[in-house]
Amino acid sequence: MAGQERRENAILAAPLVLFLLALLGFPVVLSLVYGFSETSFTTLASPRFNGVENFRTVLTDPAFWKAVWFSLRFAVITALLQCLFGLALAVYLAPLIRDHGWMVAVLILPMIVAPAMMGLMYRLVLHEFAGPVPHYLYAWFGSSPAFLSPQNVFSTVVVAETLQWTPFAFLLFLTAYQSIPNDLREATAVDGAGPWERFRRVELPLMAPTIAVALFIRFIDGFRVFDNIYTLVGAGPGGATTSMSIYIYEAFLRQGDIGRAMAAAILLFGASFVLLAIAQRRLGRRP
Amino acid sequence: MRRLDRSLRWAVFAVAAFVMNFPVLATLITAFKSPGEVSRNPSLWIESPTLENFVAVLTVSDRLNVYHYLWNSLTAALIGALLPMVLVFPIAWAMARRGTGRALLFPLVVNLRALPLIIFAIPLYLLYAAIGLLDTRLGLGLILAIVNLPLAFMLTLNAVSDIPLELEEAARVDGAGLGYMLRRVVLPLCRPALITTFIFGFITAWNEFLFGLMLTTRDAVPITVGASFFFATSGGGVQWGMAAAVMIVAALPPLLLGLVMYRRIAGSLVAGAVKG
Repeated sequence: MAGQERRENAILAAPLVLFLLALLGFPVVLSLVYGFSETSFTTLASPRFNGVENFRTVLTDPAFWKAVWFSLRFAVITALLQCLFGLALAVYLAPLIRDHGWMVAVLILPMIVAPAMMGLMYRLVLHEFAGPVPHYLYAWFGSSPAFLSPQNVFSTVVVAETLQWTPFAFLLFLTAYQSIPNDLREATAVDGAGPWERFRRVELPLMAPTIAVALFIRFIDGFRVFDNIYTLVGAGPGGATTSMSIYIYEAFLRQGDIGRAMAAAILLFGASFVLLAIAQRRLGRRP
Repeated sequence: MRRLDRSLRWAVFAVAAFVMNFPVLATLITAFKSPGEVSRNPSLWIESPTLENFVAVLTVSDRLNVYHYLWNSLTAALIGALLPMVLVFPIAWAMARRGTGRALLFPLVVNLRALPLIIFAIPLYLLYAAIGLLDTRLGLGLILAIVNLPLAFMLTLNAVSDIPLELEEAARVDGAGLGYMLRRVVLPLCRPALITTFIFGFITAWNEFLFGLMLTTRDAVPITVGASFFFATSGGGVQWGMAAAVMIVAALPPLLLGLVMYRRIAGSLVAGAVKG
């Protein structure tokens, strides 16, 4: 019986395991080979082993460190902003949403739009001549900033990312807020505490785990950002918006430097892995 | 709640909804302006609404064939949404009932969600180039399946775990084999979760951009990448009206699904975040 069950389990696991081996296992081996070799598109079939040379090139490339710094800054700032606005919206609008569920649909709409499309839409919206934002800024204030200039482009992509993904934080917080039992709230009302006091003493502590999860997810997504920045400004003026993902993409397809792109990808993978391990220990969420 | 307090909350809602949806709204408005009006009137007011841009976008041209992009997106997104469900269903049952793969397989798959996609894109590009899957709808769909695996796994596992054991045991007592029981008892009971998984996976796959950009060049270009071609300035600059119209066409399928199914989508997003 035990033998039969083991056979059954193997059959049940087989489709997924085979799929993962074919589409992820093989590429992982491939990336290690190329990461340690000198390779371009013309020498694909015969990568020449060159040890840690690619890693040295990447680690001494100022553009790489600029991309690391951009991704970290972008991820931290957008995650904080999204969670702050998301929390405020969820708590403040919860009493209305209780009677009007459709409000949720309107507020989560932005994240159903493809980030790549959102980036393109911002190109239209912010365009100097065709865009409504500069139009109204000129009409009301007489001037409009150059949104995609080297000084402003970072703020522009931060705002674009924040406006698209605040709904995600909002949704998580709304669910957490709605699941707080009402007798806990009433207990503080008996104490004579106002709504602010109730939020600080009861609701916020109960929502803390959700806030940690939301911050982490939004950080991860900000750290690997590609689509919306790429379609809005590409690598940006002077590489001002080159995220890690964009750096690797450019090294690979624009410069054809496969070895360097792979080395950078392996480093990015390592960094993500470490972050993930730390976060899971911290958040105590063993799957 | 006092009247004033309530109106204040409505005002905050209106402002938040307007600001966050502004790009979509402005694009929608621009799509209904004639080319002449776009260059003259960038405001949110349409002087003479027209369908000209949509007609232009949906007229088959050799250079920018929107139907072709839509067809590519549809096929690749269907593969990308359905394949993970097929792969994950049997192992989800084995894991829920017997703990198979709980130690290694599950964390491995779930953590895929947190890794930067570009890491897989390059080795897969080289693999695809070697086996002829580059620039094919099947190749694109297979990669989109990887993207959808984590959430499909979590949602299916939750659904299977919720099925009362007695129902399965009753079927077993009646002499049903494992395969029969999975198909006739477990699968139907998972249907609501499977529908959610499908819708969510379809939207995610439809909206994906990076893999489409890297792994397709001509034959299998999805609509997200195809839409960006309309921004390539060839001579006379971007045709903003047409660009707006193609973005609306590209964003419409997920938006419609999202509006109709927002409860399911909201629920699965929360489940994916909390359980993951």
